[in-house]
Amino acid sequence: MKRIILSGLIAGVMLFILCYGGLYLGIRLFPALFMDYNNPLFNSDGNRDVFFYMHAFIISFALSWFWDRFKELFHGHFILRGLEFGFVYAMVSLLPVMWITFSSLDITFFMVLSWFLYGFFQAVVAGTLFAKLNP
Amino acid sequence: MSSSSGSSFLIRPYLLLLFILLPSLAFNAGHTDPVKWILTKECTLKVNGSTNINKFSCIVPEYTQPDTLICYKDNKSGPIKITGSMALDVQKFDCKHAVMTNDLRKTLKAKVYPKIIIKFLNLSRYPDVYNREEVIKGAVTIELAGIVKRFEVDYKYTMNGNGNLKLIGTKQVNFSDFNISPPRKLGGMIKTNNELNVEFVLNIKTLN
Repeated sequence: MKRIILSGLIAGVMLFILCYGGLYLGIRLFPALFMDYNNPLFNSDGNRDVFFYMHAFIISFALSWFWDRFKELFHGHFILRGLEFGFVYAMVSLLPVMWITFSSLDITFFMVLSWFLYGFFQAVVAGTLFAKLNP
Repeated sequence: MSSSSGSSFLIRPYLLLLFILLPSLAFNAGHTDPVKWILTKECTLKVNGSTNINKFSCIVPEYTQPDTLICYKDNKSGPIKITGSMALDVQKFDCKHAVMTNDLRKTLKAKVYPKIIIKFLNLSRYPDVYNREEVIKGAVTIELAGIVKRFEVDYKYTMNGNGNLKLIGTKQVNFSDFNISPPRKLGGMIKTNNELNVEFVLNIKTLN
């Protein structure tokens, strides 16, 4: 349990820096890609900002628990284990969620694709860290 | 004796006429009949704003509910009082980008407050038809999202070929003037700036 929490916390800090830092840079470098976020579908009054920034820790703790349960299934070099872990997460969780999101919300395919790749990247980073911290 | 009484007899009708005419002359010197300004459907309202990633320009392209403004033109060079207003539908805003249009309508609380009401109060002077391009000032109140705020507006005007007066009012306002928080997305990474440049074009048919 201690290992799950500790590796989850470390992965959370890492994902927070990488993901929000990447998003911050992405918005500044490629503003045109983010135009569609000026959409009433997205919360605009700031009352859920804290939840938005907690996401890195929510996903890292969830993945840390998942890793601890199924880590024996991932073999080889730690980077390979991280990649496979990310791929499993993307197939089992992200793909169905993104599918239903695209089919039901008035958002673009590019937006859904970027979320899919973003989630896959998060899981690969977390999996690689877990393979080192909780082998 | 008889000649002086004769001359006063001749002067009396002129004096009487003077007493009758003087008050009406004095009354006409300071006042003229109010002028009616009919707002035609060519009137528009444009709002220009920006976010940290893009600029937007949203327009109510026509005014489907013609209204009349009354100008009290008491003197030619001084300020004039105006009564009347125009009410525009927030739902008619078009930002040429469906997502932005919907977002602006939501931000301006279109479902609860469907109208923007511009009430005209005064002008620094009556537009001079012989000076085809001039700048004047005037006060208006703008009612948006249930909040009424008074502003001093700069107007440019031109006289159209068909004799209509085109009055273009511009003013920088803030979302916060109307207790509206500028929209922010993705945890504040995409932020709309507080300032909005409002431009309304009044196409006016004058009736005396």
